[in-house]
Parts: sequence; C-alpha cells; structure tokens
Amino acid sequence: MARNDSPVASCPDCEERRTAEDPNEVVRFYRRHHAVTGHDVVWERPPSLPDLPPNADVEDAVAALGDPDAALGTVAAAASEWGWTVGETLDAVHDRRLTGALWEPRDDHVAVV
Amino acid sequence: MTRWNDGAEEVSAVSPDITDETNALPARYFTDPDVWEMEKEKIFSRYWVYAGHENCIPETGDYFTRTVGDKQVVVARDEDGDVRAFYNVCAHRGSKMVEDTPMTDPGNMGRIQCPYHLWTYDLDGDLRSTPRSFEEASLNPDLDDADVSGLDPDENGLMEVRTDDIGPLVFLNFADDPPLTLAEQAGKLKTRLESLPLSEYEHARRYVSEVECNWKTFGGNYSECDHCQANHQDWIRGIQLDESELEVNDYHWVLHYTHEEDVEDELRIHDEHEAQFHYFWPNFTVNMYGTADGYGTYIVDPIDEGRFQLIADYYFAESDLSEDEEEFVRTSRQLQEEDFELCERQYEGLRSGALGQGQLGPNEHTLHRFHRLAQEAYDA
Repeated sequence: MARNDSPVASCPDCEERRTAEDPNEVVRFYRRHHAVTGHDVVWERPPSLPDLPPNADVEDAVAALGDPDAALGTVAAAASEWGWTVGETLDAVHDRRLTGALWEPRDDHVAVV
Repeated sequence: MTRWNDGAEEVSAVSPDITDETNALPARYFTDPDVWEMEKEKIFSRYWVYAGHENCIPETGDYFTRTVGDKQVVVARDEDGDVRAFYNVCAHRGSKMVEDTPMTDPGNMGRIQCPYHLWTYDLDGDLRSTPRSFEEASLNPDLDDADVSGLDPDENGLMEVRTDDIGPLVFLNFADDPPLTLAEQAGKLKTRLESLPLSEYEHARRYVSEVECNWKTFGGNYSECDHCQANHQDWIRGIQLDESELEVNDYHWVLHYTHEEDVEDELRIHDEHEAQFHYFWPNFTVNMYGTADGYGTYIVDPIDEGRFQLIADYYFAESDLSEDEEEFVRTSRQLQEEDFELCERQYEGLRSGALGQGQLGPNEHTLHRFHRLAQEAYDA
C-alpha cells in the first residue's frame, strides 16, 4: 500500500494521478495515459534525489544520479527539477540514445556510455 | 451457502440457474494472472470489441491506434472513405510502424510507412513500395539483380483486422472466423443505437483513469444499481429507482432509470423519458443520459488482472461545452470516482483469497449474465 509521502505524478489535463512506489511505474503510467489521451504527465511529488546542476542535459542527470544504470522514472523525476515533463524527459533520452550518448543496460534503465 | 476458501475448495462453474448457490464466477477468475492471459485469447481475440468513433477520423488518411491486450491496430480512413484496421506491424520484419495515436488526437498520413526500412503501404494495406535495396541484389554476391523477383503488393500487404460498425461506433474482431457477426453479438442494441442520431454529436471530452481492480469488477459494478442508494447519494436524489428496470439480452444488458422530475424533450438525445445505460460484452458501455443532450461511452480496458483503464468519452452537440454540460461531466466524473473506490475496496477483499465463490442475489440477473458470458468464453 502506498504511503502518504510516496512519489506522485499526475496529468495536468485530466487530473489523473498516480502514486508510485517504483519510479518506473510513472513511466509505464505515462505511456498508457499518453497512448489514449495524447496528454503528458508531470511529477507532482518527485522522490528525493541528489541535487542536479541547473539547466543541464538529460545525460548530466543520468550521470549525477550515480547509478550504473538509472531507472527512467528516476531520471524523469530528476529532470522535473528543471520543469521537464515525463514525456519531455523520455523524448530527450530517446534522442540521446540515438546519438550513442546513452544506452540501455536493461529495460527502462539507462546509463552514460 | 457462501463458499469460503477454508480448505474445502468447493467452487463450481457459474450455474445457468440464478437461484443456485454457485451463480457467481469463482473469485480466482478476478485475481489470477493466468486467467487474464486466457482472457486475451478467449474473450478479447474472439468477440467484437470497440475500437473508436469514426467521427474522429473524417478525412482520408486520418488514423488512430487502439491496443487490445497485446495487439495494436491502426484504424484509418481509406481513399474510398471506409474505416479499416490493420495490425500496426510491418510485413517486412514485424516492426511496429506508427506511434501510439489516440482517437482524441488523431494523425493523418498519405500512406502507412514503417520507419525501420521504409516499406510503404497504401491506406488499403497493399504494399506500395520498398526501397531500391529490396529490388536488387547488389550487396549479395550469390545473386544477380535478375534473380530478384520483387514483391507482389497484394501478397505482401498489411494484415487487416475485421471491422464493422454500429452507427459511428467502430468495432474490431481479431478472430479468423468470428463465432458471431457484430449484428448477432449486438442484437437489439444495434437497432436501438442505430435509431439514434449518434453521428450528429461531436466528441467533447475524454477522461482516462487507472483503477486498481480487475476489469470485471468494474463491469459488474456498472451492471447493477443496488449499491447506488448507499454510495451515490448526490446522484440518487433525482432518480426513481422503484421505476427502474433491468433488461437482459444475449450479449448486452440495459439499466433504465427514471428521473423524478421529467426533463425537457430538447434536453434529450433519445425519446425515452429515462436514462439508459447499456453494457455491451465484453468491455464497452453506451450511456444515454436522461438529463443531458449527449451521450457517453466507457471502454473498460484491462491492463492486467489487477488493473484497468476506464476510458470515458463524452459526446455533445458541440465540442465546446456549455456550463451545464461541464457540470454534467463533473458529476459523471464524481460518480466514477465513487465507483472506483467501491471496486478497489471489493478487489482488496477478493485479493485476500478468503472468498472462493461469492453469490448473486435474485435481482442481480444482469451481473449473472455477465458472469455466465465469462464462464462460456472460458469454456469455449
């Protein structure tokens, strides 16, 4: 059962909310919600994370998290500090993966090359 | 006698006779992941399921995607103005072709193109073109260009999924040889809906909620209103449940509600002086309101055995809503939230494993029909 201080993400357009124990649950929620509405999702209450450099790139966010392979949901939560939506973060990750700057050691986790 | 999971394991198939003790679906059919795997084939790949509303794709090349279980289709308007559906899978090496595109924000394309190797299909699914590298053998020293016969457009097109419609409502059937036509599955519902001017109304709102319970839990809750008195107290004030009626058909059932104060004729899309809530097996509802000139649909879309999405669409004369219509949608949303809480609460109980098989009351014959259809599908 989710606690009252569990991370929360929501859709600003239709106010659907998701309380998540696992940050990647927010990624899955975003994909399902976006697929049927076209709406984006924002972190309403992100999990506690290390401080990130301001206005950096998603690659810096992955590096700053310090995990050998960071969960996409954690990356999206970190990027929310810059005002990024979950969709914007996933798009940025996609772009950086296609340039070879990030890779995916396992499903929905990314690492700096 | 209620059948608890007390070690006796006394559960049975849903009895056709509602007065029997074993008149409900055993609890494990709501909670077992293997049952959801079975339902993808025995229910969602066998019966007609709702795809979307054709008013949302009026122009040639307009399209949206729809995912049912593990299968995704592209629903598109072709050059002849017909709505067709194809697996969102390229005939080359099976790549997903177009991105997820909701009915509420449709895309438009001249042709369907796979981004992987640019195989391109006409809107009727025929293979239109492949890159030059598929027409010559320049990189393969074992072959001459003359050895390459080319690809027959008809034989190498997209895999089409059977579609049919009721008014503007488009349905899909994934079976090679469906056991029923849409007309057979819909029965009187088809005639009833086709008599209404559904095409004249525009899509106005879509709300999508994720609920932590099995899709059948919500389907069952939708199918009866015995819970309404205790749980929808704002809404129930305007309803005369004494004069409500439950109508059971082969694959759909209707809950008719009469409003205490009759409403103006111009405030009603249909002539009946009542609201009509239709549940169409397996996971679609059509909601004809008694107090608004519009209608709604629900797709009760399973995510897995323990979660579903409720996709609630609202249709009104114009997509820009009046204040009253906005208020109507808010009230509808409130009812959904109340029902979600009830269903999640029920599901928490079901998931505990204590109950082997519940029991339905004699007036829960709509729900009995629902459970019987599930049982028949599992046995098929």
